Amino acid sequence: MGENGSGKTTLLKHLNGLLKPTTGRVYVDGVDTRDATIAELAAKVGLVFQNADEMFFEPKVEDEVAFALRNFGYPEEVIKKRVSWALEFLELSAYRDTSPFMLSGGEKKRLALAVILAWNPEVIALDEPTIGQDSVQKEKLAHMLKLLNTQGRTVIMASHDVEFVADLNPRIILLREGRVVKDGAAEDILTDVELLASCSITPPQVVTTLNRLKDLGINPRRLSVEEAAYEIIKRITT
Amino acid sequence: MSFLEGLRFRPGESVIHKLDPRVKLLTSLLILVSALIYVDALVITIILVAEAIIMKIAEVERLWLKTVKGAIPFAVIVFIITFLTDYSITGLTINTIYRAFTYSYRIILFLSSFSLFFLTTTPDEIALTMTKMKIPYQYTFAFVSAIRFTPVLAQEIKNIMDAQKARGLELDKGSFIRRVRKLIPILVPLLVNVLRRSYELAEAMEVKCFGVAKNRTYLHELQFRRRDYVFLASVLLLFSVEILSWSLGLRPDSLLLSYLGLTEFSKLS
Repeated sequence: MGENGSGKTTLLKHLNGLLKPTTGRVYVDGVDTRDATIAELAAKVGLVFQNADEMFFEPKVEDEVAFALRNFGYPEEVIKKRVSWALEFLELSAYRDTSPFMLSGGEKKRLALAVILAWNPEVIALDEPTIGQDSVQKEKLAHMLKLLNTQGRTVIMASHDVEFVADLNPRIILLREGRVVKDGAAEDILTDVELLASCSITPPQVVTTLNRLKDLGINPRRLSVEEAAYEIIKRITT
Repeated sequence: MSFLEGLRFRPGESVIHKLDPRVKLLTSLLILVSALIYVDALVITIILVAEAIIMKIAEVERLWLKTVKGAIPFAVIVFIITFLTDYSITGLTINTIYRAFTYSYRIILFLSSFSLFFLTTTPDEIALTMTKMKIPYQYTFAFVSAIRFTPVLAQEIKNIMDAQKARGLELDKGSFIRRVRKLIPILVPLLVNVLRRSYELAEAMEVKCFGVAKNRTYLHELQFRRRDYVFLASVLLLFSVEILSWSLGLRPDSLLLSYLGLTEFSKLS
């Protein structure tokens, strides 16, 4: 997390070798990114760009998903299986033969994710995936990211959508002006109001509310609404 | 896409930036005229040095040098063509080589002449200049937005290339035909995005009532100041000296060569 210009996108682009480090080293799966091609790294790290939905070019949705698989040289029958699986996973099977340009905004975002998930990368990196998404789509996205994570894949997300991040409760690396300010659990970082203010991030609503109730002896280190409600009820009933 | 960098205006605070754009336009035009009429290595060198000094003052010399470097391939082409043409007529002489050199040298001055104007003038000032020249605002706007969107387009191409590389596209692999085919994933999104952006721009302009008033007014009006008169006077003085020398048929480069004792070179045409 971090404000605009703090280096989130720059950091993500280092993961698949689009940018190479000028000082220091980036290792992906033990391989120095300077010694590997972008295509080799992209097979391991799937990067979903912020405006990936503006990068479609194939006449059909299924070809769009198959594009990367063909680049990586998979045999046709594997490609067929993977495409069907990815479209199924993101609920796009009905649009197989539609033009990607005819999809709605939300569907395009899902297609952009399907395009990456199709080749089953070990690491999935997303750049601001919640921008321009309504709450239902965000909920679906959160669900999907949790699912991918439980399947054993690393999910890295650049975001400044605090509520969305608080919901996922992940490990957070806080950036400011190209430097790591803090690296820790969401509960530690998103409840540190002063730290967030120094990075121009508004704390989640739950944290703001509990901070106002701090002098009543309520523990403000809570991120979810349920936990916050439990804390307040505990205080009232005792 | 580094060759497009030269078109990108970078705001500056130098004296050259503050000059009236009309003075800069005229200066650029006079340099162009000089390059067209006077084929003389010494004159070209003097003008290039003057240009370099102005660029140094404006602190855009690195961008200017990029333009100059970009002109070198064209200069090489001109050199080859001039040399072959002369060679077929007169055969190989010192004169053939020298003429080919001067003509290709001239191309560098020719191509860099408008850097002075474009590198130190804001798009808004270009618009004001064109309006003063009584060009209808619609055309001015089209021209200025073309300049303004060129760097945006270059950035867009870079973004699309990055996104497709992240999907495993390897642009520098395969035979020529395969490489050309690999441009499709870049050109299609580019075209779509450019069309979308121009529609959005048109809508945004209509929302802001573009073209409602016949006589458009401007926040800033162009006005000549003392520095503009001084700069203009010096440019005109230098140009008239040059024109005088040209109309007398003088060749300063051969004069210099004969002064240096290189008499075999001094009978150049």
